Amino acid sequence: MRENGDAVVEVLDLIKDYRPGFGLRRKRILHGVSFSVQRGEIYGFVGPNGAGKTTTLKALMGLIQASGGQARILGCDVSENDFREHIGFLPENPYFYGYLTAREILDFYARLSGLDGQRRCRRVPELLEWVGLGEASESRLRTFSKGMLQRVGIAQALVHDPEVVFLDEPMSGLDPIGRKEIRDVILRLKSEGKTVFMNTHILSDVETICDRVAIIVEGRIRYEGRIEDFLHEDDLMSDVVLSYLPPELGEILEAKFGARVRGVGGRIELRVREKQVSQLLRLGLEAGAEVVSVTPHRVSLEKIFLEAVSTSSSHLIRNESARKGERS
Amino acid sequence: MIRMRHVWPIATNTVREAIRNKVLYALLFFAVGVIGVAVVIASLSYVEGQRIIQDIGLASIRLFSLGIAVFVGVGLIHGEVERRTIYTILSKPLSRSEFLVGKYLGLLMTVWLQLACMMIAFVAVSLATGAPLSGGHVAALGLLGMELVVIVALATFFSAFTSPLLASLFTLGIWGAGHLSRDLYALGQQSGNESFAGASTWMYRLLPDLEAFNVSVQAVHGLPIATSELTLPILYAVGYAVALLIAAGWIFQGRDLK
Repeated sequence: MRENGDAVVEVLDLIKDYRPGFGLRRKRILHGVSFSVQRGEIYGFVGPNGAGKTTTLKALMGLIQASGGQARILGCDVSENDFREHIGFLPENPYFYGYLTAREILDFYARLSGLDGQRRCRRVPELLEWVGLGEASESRLRTFSKGMLQRVGIAQALVHDPEVVFLDEPMSGLDPIGRKEIRDVILRLKSEGKTVFMNTHILSDVETICDRVAIIVEGRIRYEGRIEDFLHEDDLMSDVVLSYLPPELGEILEAKFGARVRGVGGRIELRVREKQVSQLLRLGLEAGAEVVSVTPHRVSLEKIFLEAVSTSSSHLIRNESARKGERS
Repeated sequence: MIRMRHVWPIATNTVREAIRNKVLYALLFFAVGVIGVAVVIASLSYVEGQRIIQDIGLASIRLFSLGIAVFVGVGLIHGEVERRTIYTILSKPLSRSEFLVGKYLGLLMTVWLQLACMMIAFVAVSLATGAPLSGGHVAALGLLGMELVVIVALATFFSAFTSPLLASLFTLGIWGAGHLSRDLYALGQQSGNESFAGASTWMYRLLPDLEAFNVSVQAVHGLPIATSELTLPILYAVGYAVALLIAAGWIFQGRDLK
């Protein structure tokens, strides 16, 4: 766990065992999960289907009881209730009472959150406008599309102006416009100083908006930290574009830096390690070239994610082989 | 600790859900219809037609109230878990026990509302046919309302940890056994078998004594009803329901909502 006094979510060695059926042996879903979320950040909790993302979130929300370990939100144990005044939660594929209108359901959640009549009258219409449902406020929820329900879900999570918001697969099943809208909402929350914990398996969204991520595979955290932190120094690359080159310079640079060179018109583009950039630029400028651009090349989170999943799979295969070996 | 500011929104929303449920209207319509049909059945008899009307009326009110309580009650918690509406509710600052009590009170208000509608139909039919109405009828219907306090608590209790099918079987089974528990106790005492007498005494203590809420015979025949026949069942119903809700809350608290 990160040593930081401003952690709003702290999970330490969280274990969850399930009994799949009556009389069957217990199955371990979470194997000592640990991570922490700092105040004001967007934290992506990433993993393939069945990795334990939703189980972890349910344990944090107190919907299931952990078999071991600790989980604290805003310094309170998750089995307590009082800290819930300061958190909001959007479950995966949220379902709401279809017989209520958008205004009625938000009023219901506002009452549960302890808002008095005056605050409810002000907060509910304000929030409906905020999530773009102002005109649909008197429509029954059973007539809403998935995207609209997702926005109702976000609104109910925010109705009491919480400090920390937990979102379970907030973009799943949405079209590109819906995804962008939810992304914008999340970024707006961050700009208002709120902490967002987001469960997802859509990596591009995580890459775009998350400050830090944890990758969970088969109930174990494989990585936690900034995306950049996952990479070896050698993995950090930059794309440099130079123009007006002396004819032989491209070949020299290619040989010296082992860079991949691509010619585009009168320019060349080189991909080099980040630590080699200043040396390359010095050489190029000395030789009379002009620097057009230097762009840090971000290694895709997908690469890290796939690596984590494949490491886990090969680990499993190794274990399986070992077990077979023991039997034979 | 149960805080009413958390319980009340759940209760009122449960009533609102029932009011917008068309199946309940159909049940209520059918119940009122049966009370009206009593007039036709009574006309087939040469004697005591008014008594038959009131007998059938009170019996149908009892059965339909039970039906509505069980029909709505057994799916009360299960439905919330299945539809996952409970996830967002329990993320708010209310405890599971407050949620459970809210659902219970909401269902109780719903069945009382339906009971009031059936009572109006019963009074209308009695007045139309000239059947006598007395304080005994008010007592009978009031005690039926208190019996529903126990039935709804039973349905809520079973709904907290079983499927609607099992919850309805258990609730109906205990309703039947609850109406026979006095007879079972008497049988045990008269059997001369010590172990059977002991078992029947325990059964009588454990099962709800639902016959305590039945003063229909006195009401229809105009017999006097003692004050203790009213006050003790009211206290008994409240005590029994509170015990059931505490047990339900305890079980529900430890349940994983998958």
